[in-house]
Amino acid sequence: MGLFGSSQPSPPQPEPSRDGGYVAPDRSARAVCWEGRDSFFKCLDRNSIIDSVKEDEKAKTVCAPELKKFEEACAASWVTYFKKRRVMEFQRDLTLKKLSAEGATPMDSSTAGGAGSATLSGK
Amino acid sequence: MATSFARALRLIEPGVCRQCATQPARRTFAAVQNPKREIRSRPATQTTTLSQQQVRAFSFIPKRGYKTVQEAKSRHKSGPFSWQAGLLFLLAGAGLTVYFRYEKARMARARIAEANKGIGRPLVGGPFHLTDHNGKEFTEQNLKGKYSLVYFGFTHCPDICPEELDKMAGMLDQVKEKHGEVLQPVFISCDPARDTPEVIRRYLAEFHPDLLGMTGTWQEVKDVCKAYRVYFSTPPDVKPGQDYLVDHSIYFYLMDPEGDFVEAIGRNFTVDAASKVINDHIADWRGKINKG
Repeated sequence: MGLFGSSQPSPPQPEPSRDGGYVAPDRSARAVCWEGRDSFFKCLDRNSIIDSVKEDEKAKTVCAPELKKFEEACAASWVTYFKKRRVMEFQRDLTLKKLSAEGATPMDSSTAGGAGSATLSGK
Repeated sequence: MATSFARALRLIEPGVCRQCATQPARRTFAAVQNPKREIRSRPATQTTTLSQQQVRAFSFIPKRGYKTVQEAKSRHKSGPFSWQAGLLFLLAGAGLTVYFRYEKARMARARIAEANKGIGRPLVGGPFHLTDHNGKEFTEQNLKGKYSLVYFGFTHCPDICPEELDKMAGMLDQVKEKHGEVLQPVFISCDPARDTPEVIRRYLAEFHPDLLGMTGTWQEVKDVCKAYRVYFSTPPDVKPGQDYLVDHSIYFYLMDPEGDFVEAIGRNFTVDAASKVINDHIADWRGKINKG
């Protein structure tokens, strides 16, 4: 797609540390990344796109400036992770809504099923 | 507590009867003065064991020292039940309830701690060899003497690890406030290729000054993850500067001063709830603990 096709937005390169590692984004860098993510997701909401991986073309067209900012502020792996997480959370909320419509009562998550819920959430 | 209360009640009975035996005249006087009360206050269950006379005596012994009949009457209008007795009853009941609830919670915690110790080999935890963020060697022996809170993560983590580490900082403050320096927080990296001691030190400084970061070789990290039953998916061969994520379990592992696993605290706990769990376990600990 034309607008930003030639100049791929490149995320900040990880800074190598003196002892051979790679410095992670600090608190402020994370905040900038999360901000970029939030404004991109708001744009997706406006255009009723849930899965911006599957609907990549459409998202790139309608939310181009937001996506560019998002990809500039976050590492590529984070971008993919956040996009997938959005879909996962949407489906989770959908399932919860369906269940509560069927009359299921939510469990007290602080005491019951702690083990299961914590492993499921990944990362 | 309950038995002594019952004993006190039993002691009253013979005392009452001794009194009535020595004061036959007064008893009859009271009975004549107040015949209706006699019937009302007779406990139905006692009629089989006590004689008619004893029952009557129980409710109508005037204490020595009443100046008028009216005073004696008003004193005994309520029978053996006074507001003092009622208050004592309520207080004893409330006291017992509170005590039993406390004991029940304590036993539940002791059960969790005991069950998680396992038999023989510990279920979670065990020997490991890592390097801390100051470049010093660190093994499971260094965890002993204090409680420790162990968290696995990686510095390039997009959102969950930083949130959890902020929560951990809150827990550390709440535990320190209550018990002092009895908890050693440990962050173990699952991403040894990127997380060198310097990277971890810089990363953790943003969360809490007490946090001690750990890393090691790929094999060492894999071993410690296995010991703590942490899912470990880091590939052994990553290119320098490569961008990837690491999957890992997200529990806080609470270990006691002997290095035994106590309880896992999941992501669903709030800072306050998690701090309470930790503080309660520390309060239960009867062994040695290093507060320095």
